[in-house]
Amino acid sequence: MEFLDQFTVTTLRSATPIVIAAVFGLFSIRAGIFHLGIEGLMLASAFAAVAVGTASGSAWIGLAAAIAVALLLSVIYWFFIDQLRADTVIAGLGLTALCVGGTAFAMQALFDQRGQMASTVRLPRVISGVDEGLLSYVSELTVLTWATPLLIVLAWIVLRRTHLGLQIAAVGDYPYGAVAAGVDASRVRLVAILLTGFGCGIAGCQLAIGDVAGFAENMTNGRGFFALAAMLFGGFSAIATALAGLFFGFADAFGIFLQLNDRSGLPTQFVLMAPFLLTILIVTISGAIRQRRDRL
Amino acid sequence: MNRVGQGAAAILPIGIAVATCMLLFALAGYDIISVILGVTEGALTGFGSFQQTLRWAMPLLLIALGFLFCLRAGEFNIGGQGQMMMGGLGSVAVALLFPGPVWIAMPTALLAGMLCGLIWSGFAGFLKVRYHADEVIVTLMLNFIAVLLVSWVTTGPLKDPAVRGETASTPKIDSALRLGGSDGISPTLLILVGLAILAAWVIAERSRMGVQLRYVGKAPQAARWQGMAVRRLKFQAYLLAGTFAGLAGAFEVLGPNGRLVTGATPTIGFTAIVVTIVGLSRVPGIVIAAIFFGGLQAAILFLPIVSDLPSSGIKILEGMIALFVTAEFLRHWRQR
Amino acid sequence: MRPTAVRCDGITVQFGQVRALDNVSLAFPVGQIHAVLGQNGAGKSTMAGVLSGILRPARGSVEICGRKIQSGQSAAARAAGLDIVHQRFSLPPSFRVAEALEFAAARKMGGLVYSLRRIERRWRERLDAVGITVDLRSRLASLPVETRQSIEILRALANDARVLILDEPTALLSPTAIDKLFRQLRELRDQGVTPIVILHKLKEVLAVADTVAILRQGQLVLPPTPKDTLTTSRISTLMVGAVSVATRCATPTKDMPAADLCRLDGIATRSRGSEPGLHDIDLTLGQGEILGVAGIEGNGQRALAETIAGLEAPLAGRLTLAGSDVTERGTAARRVMGLRMVPFDRMTEGLSLTSPLWENVQSWVAERFRTGPWPLISIARMQESTRAILDRFGVSYRTTTQRGDTLSGGNLQRVILGRELAGTLKVLLAAQPTRGLDFAATRFVWQELHRVRDTGAGIILISSDLDELFEISDRILVMRGGRVVGTFTPPYSARTVGSAMVGAAE
Repeated sequence: MEFLDQFTVTTLRSATPIVIAAVFGLFSIRAGIFHLGIEGLMLASAFAAVAVGTASGSAWIGLAAAIAVALLLSVIYWFFIDQLRADTVIAGLGLTALCVGGTAFAMQALFDQRGQMASTVRLPRVISGVDEGLLSYVSELTVLTWATPLLIVLAWIVLRRTHLGLQIAAVGDYPYGAVAAGVDASRVRLVAILLTGFGCGIAGCQLAIGDVAGFAENMTNGRGFFALAAMLFGGFSAIATALAGLFFGFADAFGIFLQLNDRSGLPTQFVLMAPFLLTILIVTISGAIRQRRDRL
Repeated sequence: MNRVGQGAAAILPIGIAVATCMLLFALAGYDIISVILGVTEGALTGFGSFQQTLRWAMPLLLIALGFLFCLRAGEFNIGGQGQMMMGGLGSVAVALLFPGPVWIAMPTALLAGMLCGLIWSGFAGFLKVRYHADEVIVTLMLNFIAVLLVSWVTTGPLKDPAVRGETASTPKIDSALRLGGSDGISPTLLILVGLAILAAWVIAERSRMGVQLRYVGKAPQAARWQGMAVRRLKFQAYLLAGTFAGLAGAFEVLGPNGRLVTGATPTIGFTAIVVTIVGLSRVPGIVIAAIFFGGLQAAILFLPIVSDLPSSGIKILEGMIALFVTAEFLRHWRQR
Repeated sequence: MRPTAVRCDGITVQFGQVRALDNVSLAFPVGQIHAVLGQNGAGKSTMAGVLSGILRPARGSVEICGRKIQSGQSAAARAAGLDIVHQRFSLPPSFRVAEALEFAAARKMGGLVYSLRRIERRWRERLDAVGITVDLRSRLASLPVETRQSIEILRALANDARVLILDEPTALLSPTAIDKLFRQLRELRDQGVTPIVILHKLKEVLAVADTVAILRQGQLVLPPTPKDTLTTSRISTLMVGAVSVATRCATPTKDMPAADLCRLDGIATRSRGSEPGLHDIDLTLGQGEILGVAGIEGNGQRALAETIAGLEAPLAGRLTLAGSDVTERGTAARRVMGLRMVPFDRMTEGLSLTSPLWENVQSWVAERFRTGPWPLISIARMQESTRAILDRFGVSYRTTTQRGDTLSGGNLQRVILGRELAGTLKVLLAAQPTRGLDFAATRFVWQELHRVRDTGAGIILISSDLDELFEISDRILVMRGGRVVGTFTPPYSARTVGSAMVGAAE
């Protein structure tokens, strides 16, 4: 049973940033924005969490800084795609590239560190001081992992039970109807992108000072893109998206497990490929389903 | 808009991006003059600098030309990175595993590179036109998978036992098979790239297929009513994109690198997309843009020698240009 | 004298080179049903857009219930008490009924977060009050069009609209639903709401309106005038203008052999959304014949056209073109066999607005079989042949490299005709070829259709304009609900064809 406990906890740990980013990413994708900057936002927040957290000595201030940086970058992204009508995909990739370069730059310029830097703070654990049995594994989970269900519910409520949620859906789904109802589409897009940024800030913070204590160049390693895939797989619904994100965490945990325990000689690269292959499978299936639905 | 206007509209975002970056560096306390001098020296004026610029422009150019076909067909195939890596993989495998007379082995290695790129891209294209799988995600994922495949090959089956440490690689290929030295370029390589540019231009601008591709991308409904094979044309665009990216990978292996290296050029595919856009989706424009970005890449390697600016500063500039490049500054200002 | 509900002064709207509205001033009094009448392209929808604040006119002002409205502000118009139900529904089709109504309501329920049960109760009452029975949890896209339209009207009234504009409300409705709609409008009028109905069918205007205003080519040719003081012939003359009184009657060419150029046997297709599929369609097209296809839009005309074009594979049946079975063959193969098409929507299906003219004029598929398999092209030669075609079809253009969207609608249709009619052809499928065109352009299209017919080709002309069909068809089929419900030969009677279209004969 011990193995199962450990496996479950690893899954939850890996899934947390993906789930949070994906569920909050829904705001953008529902507003019709294919937000490829999520990856970059997570990375920038991870760096901000480590940098500010270490400087201030408080993980909470690190979290606040992570969110603030993500929000700021989100406003810039919004300004480009909405006000300057930049292509959402190219600008999103640009934002991500900017964050990859920017974090490396800042790490070297501000801290004179290359490649990676350690954090002196970590997010608090809800359960601590236990070193036996199930609880010893659970005690590895940070406060943000515990808060994730709450965040999912929050996102669900905003999407499904507020006027804002309706406006976001209308802007993305049927812009004509949004205009006809007098909705300020630009403003709604800004709010949606900001909400996504908020989620990315939390996700990035969890990645850097929750899971490990430190920042490494390009440490998100495609998690932002997994989040996008989870949204597609989840059919843009909050609950299904969260489950899809959890599934990515599971695949990740499985990879780690094989790496540690497998003696069959299967190269780790192939295990690490699993989530990528899975994502391709998922978008293919969801594309085929959508195609069939459109045809009828 | 006339051509001059179009050119100005293309240069404007780059100008703004460069200015913003320089401002940023200045605010961060760096000496901009030395940065600019460093970049110029590293890309143009320094000894062998322009050669380095061309060396880096080459893969960018080839991937960008391939991306052009997909872009024109309305397909956002951002998998140039992976397709290039697979091309390199195919090339190196042939070069290392199938020894033969040079006049057979070298073309075979080139063709194998193109074929591997084509398959990698064609797979994404197949999933898109057949199952409507979102091509942005699929090609992105295929990039990650290609990185892992290359990492496996260079640490497993084709591992160079002599190499230790971080970057794994295959052994060097037979120098007779090389198209150019390690300094970057050679006349043969330049002629081959020239032929590739010519081929891309003829296909894109002077072939029935090229015009149809453009038509399909702009007005898919009208293309359908005209009886164009929309899905087949789109699929062909993917095949072309993969072929060109695969060729880029083959050139890397047979040219400057002489072997396949893990993680040699992690963002080149993405930069190539920006090259296509900056080049206004036209072959001549892409050639100019590729040289510009090749220059930046060359400068990244040179910059630390003359300036204290971290080389990731150039990466910021590249990201900034991507962020700015599709923005409609002029439209916005005219409205005001 | 009644008070004024809506007044506008000197409204002018310009779309590119086309003047959609030219210095229009008029006033609609309160408490009557007003009809705005005009042909397609007369400027009716533009008028509706201006009144509701969606379109910003180049000149002129709008006043609603005595309040001057900042032009181009739909929220202001709504606040003043004017609402509009568009041809195109404004409620997002993916929304559930209650969500959609709540989304569009001016006064929202509750605070930040709403309870589904409470908004459902709120709208259940409203819907019950006007007798709409619908599951509040069903998605709008899954509802029949008349229900969706009733919900759209309810949505407008829920915002306390005093003036309600309905833009072509009958276009998608069945005759019984139209009657129901008109009853509802009369009730509204009696409750003090002023409905302004935009229509293009005279019969419907006579059935519902108290006053009639007529637009023709962007100009107001008749200000709101009580219906009783007008005669039918006066209205139709004003609508179409003096020139277009039928000048020639279709003269079927007799000396053609009666070979079938195109033949459909028992064709059936899948239905799509609100558009019905085809049921057991039999049709033959002879040489030198113009076969008109009449019907209210959305009764299978699109499915028919796409099946003939080879864009939609039939579920059952056989399709022959010039004697050979093409049921299994694609659009390209059919084009090579001599089929040409003028699609429904010239802006998206007919050509590419962002492509240069020479790319639009060259027939890329049939071309290959004219010039052989060589894959490369000579742009100079293509531009030369493009110029020849454009000149022959009287397109006014500067260069062959200018983009499609620099041309006006009539010119675009000439470009399409140029491409489709330049070579030799056996069968022409023309779907709404004159929609939105001015009279001169319409005449040109008709002339070309006649010319093509006289070369011995057959033409299938799909049109929702009966006048056009009567003018040039040798034979008319009427479609309803995806079936052919009647075949007529000249002399045509608007009454019999019309009743077949709406199904009144049964």
